[in-house]
Amino acid sequence: MTSPAHPLSIPIPRWAYAVALVALMVTWLVLQENGLAIGHAAESLHEFFHDGRHALGVPCH
Amino acid sequence: MNSYRSVLLRGVGAGGIAGLLAGLVGLFVVEVPIRAALAVEEARAATEPVEPGGHDHGELFGRGTQLVGGVLAAVIVGLAVGALFATAYAGSRRWFTDRPPFSRSVSLAAAVFGAAALLPAIKYPANPPAVGDPNTVGYRTVLYLGVIAAGLLVVFGASYLASRLGHLSRPVRSTAVALAVIAGFTVILLAFPAPPDAIPEDMPSNVLWDFRLASLAETATLWLGLGVVFGLLIDPAVRTRSGSKAKATALGA
Repeated sequence: MTSPAHPLSIPIPRWAYAVALVALMVTWLVLQENGLAIGHAAESLHEFFHDGRHALGVPCH
Repeated sequence: MNSYRSVLLRGVGAGGIAGLLAGLVGLFVVEVPIRAALAVEEARAATEPVEPGGHDHGELFGRGTQLVGGVLAAVIVGLAVGALFATAYAGSRRWFTDRPPFSRSVSLAAAVFGAAALLPAIKYPANPPAVGDPNTVGYRTVLYLGVIAAGLLVVFGASYLASRLGHLSRPVRSTAVALAVIAGFTVILLAFPAPPDAIPEDMPSNVLWDFRLASLAETATLWLGLGVVFGLLIDPAVRTRSGSKAKATALGA
């Protein structure tokens, strides 16, 4: 029943890993960063995304 | 249509839409218990003005800015997980190989929701402001991310197991894989330590419950929205004009 119209696996180029890494880093900055990567500026980031972090179920102080 | 680039763009687009929907759920649903929790925090601050190690919310940004930040957080996270989801979809060789793309997308999103949102929500339920202890946030983050990683591993293992059990009949195979997933999730829930923080006594239990349920609604909107929108964008049957034709493409092929 496998359809030739939609092949199952699409070749993934090398740069896809860079995309995945950037996506993970962005998620980290928005949801998790508390000073590990960008130091004191993290506090602004944390406060700005504060409601979003809580609402998405991420551990917060 | 089948290049990674086009799949990635659809993933990011679907993630943006799902993130916006989740953000709106956050704004109109999750904000209600958050407001109640902030009232508890304010009442507490009035009785004991200096809280060691804590910092005052809303000092850097007003509440209005934080509301925007809440929606924006969901949109940005949506775009990012959309890219990751599209990459996982493109690379999946074993995930429900006999189903049309729409079903593959929705089922993959549902599985990721189960492992990366529902499972941590059961083990380490989301807490509104005024609950978490700032001194344990690092430890709690490690536990939270650990449960997500372990849950995703179980999903990956389940699709691998299903492909290895191809010789069994479909009902027997489904039962075996479902039992394996339940066993995996049970082990995770038992093996990880209990949440380190006690719930403060001044936090009403109904605010806590409302917040946790609302938070789950937001993550469900994000993941299931992503699965449905990505599935609509990726499935060629969607672009077939008549309903019967679409059915024929999905079933026949």
